[in-house]
Amino acid sequence: MEIDEAPQKVDIAARIVTPGTAITNDSAFMRGHGTFSEHDTIYSSVAGVVERINKLVSVRPLKQRYSGEIGDIIVGRITEVASKRWRVDVNSRQDGVLLLSSINLPGGIQRRKSESDELQMRTFFAEGDLVFAEVQSYFADGALSLHTRSIQYGKLRNGTLVTAFPQLVPRSRSHFHTLSCGVDVVLGVNGYIWVSKHVPASKVEANAELIYSDKNEPISDDEREAIARVANCIQLLNRLYVKITDTSIIFAYEASLVHSVKELLTHDVAVELAQNVMARLEQQA
Amino acid sequence: MASLILSPAEQDYIIRGVESGFRADGRGSLDRREVSLRTGMISQANGSARCRIGNLGVGTDVLVGVKAEVNSWTPGEPEDLGSIVCNVECSPSAAQEFEGRGAEEINVELTQLLDRILNGPQSGLDLKKLCIIPKQAYWVLHIDALVLDVKGSIVDTLVWATRAALMSTSLPRVVVETIGDEMGNMQAEFDVVDDPEDLTPLEGAENLPISVTFSQIGKRYVVDASEQEEVVTQAKLTVAVSPVMEICAIQKGGMFRGFPPSLLAEILEIAQRIAREELTRFDVHYAQAKSHLSSQADEPSTGSTFLVQF
Repeated sequence: MEIDEAPQKVDIAARIVTPGTAITNDSAFMRGHGTFSEHDTIYSSVAGVVERINKLVSVRPLKQRYSGEIGDIIVGRITEVASKRWRVDVNSRQDGVLLLSSINLPGGIQRRKSESDELQMRTFFAEGDLVFAEVQSYFADGALSLHTRSIQYGKLRNGTLVTAFPQLVPRSRSHFHTLSCGVDVVLGVNGYIWVSKHVPASKVEANAELIYSDKNEPISDDEREAIARVANCIQLLNRLYVKITDTSIIFAYEASLVHSVKELLTHDVAVELAQNVMARLEQQA
Repeated sequence: MASLILSPAEQDYIIRGVESGFRADGRGSLDRREVSLRTGMISQANGSARCRIGNLGVGTDVLVGVKAEVNSWTPGEPEDLGSIVCNVECSPSAAQEFEGRGAEEINVELTQLLDRILNGPQSGLDLKKLCIIPKQAYWVLHIDALVLDVKGSIVDTLVWATRAALMSTSLPRVVVETIGDEMGNMQAEFDVVDDPEDLTPLEGAENLPISVTFSQIGKRYVVDASEQEEVVTQAKLTVAVSPVMEICAIQKGGMFRGFPPSLLAEILEIAQRIAREELTRFDVHYAQAKSHLSSQADEPSTGSTFLVQF
């Protein structure tokens, strides 16, 4: 393995490094994630950006698997129905687990689970369904334990899924946004983003028995176009490595209105829009 | 072929979208995605091309190499024709269902489809020109395709890449001499010129057909289906059309349902129109690929790292 022989003592912050690049040989620094040390010199072990917090030097990789934290809001896809639990693909190293005791049973949040519920698990979630959940805890092997014990969580409908790099979705106060164009966006911290038609919360609460329905609402052509436009904006933000937040999506959406929806995914238009969004975000900061 | 699972709600969303003429990514039923094409990347092959169909650096990616070999004629083979041998392999890293022996079926299907399109007079290649000495020696073109990534529309990408590879194929020059032996019989002998600069382009490659695949979703059909759309596709029809607007090959895939005959006639007509547009688009991309090769400027631009325009 070739190692950069001459470590520079430049300003450590915000340098892009590749595996084997020497970062510093100042022994005052402690080494964090993404680094290793050999003979008093700290080298990077991944391709990414150098970060320094006080005395801690670490390297944040450009591409990284999602690893869950308790309290994360995520979107997952059911892969398996097992005894009293579901296995959920959360775009991580391991599938997450959604226990039968962690979901809202139709007919009131307070209903206790019964024997027949255990035998009819596919009436709630079946393989392939998309679920909007929160990370509750970890299992002993590190798998995430999820729950949907709130009216806004549950099965996702009326829209389409966009997959983005997990590190582009920052953790924030709220992950469920309603945009002005009538589109709801669920920003899963694991990189799965759900774009759908806006359904008023009152309507959801009124139909408590229909929370596990697979039937979509009727979606008009205009709503479909808005959903496609937002989905394409998120896709181009993702491919051009721009942080995906409600602000950046709105900026991208506004800038995209001069183009037709299908043009948004073409190379030139995408680059132009992403630069536009980055400029506006910088202005705002 | 889909290991991608979609929920019933997602499938319904896609089907209704297609039926109202507005696909999930905003395309119309007959709109195709962007193409990235490069040729000549395999220096040891006589011709090579890599084609990716998809947007923003993600898409179905196929690499094709063409290798020419001299074969000795054996009785029973056509006396004055060369031949083409196709082989398509889906890399296990392209999709999860290709792991281990999972790709066997689709490899055979794609190989046979490519063979159907290329092997025979309908392909436009003049196999007579591939004969070196009748009843003695001929060129065999081995066309090897490797599918590197699958995001829908695998057949169209494969045919694009094969067409580009064959158009960029050049064979070594062959010198044929007739010499007499002691008894006065004339024997023909050939010699392959071993000069990497002394090459002749493969004749007839510009007559090769291009393919258009129609996927039936709900009550309508789309061209260039994405990965998600292929999950809800019930039947597929691949039509290969040559530059002179003749239909060279048709293959129907998909086991869920058949096509009504009236739809079939409509599709064949539209296929010709789309093929004409695709051939024009192909020529533009191929010319760009050729000029890129000669300019030798292969510095990747870091500004759009993930768009990976190879």
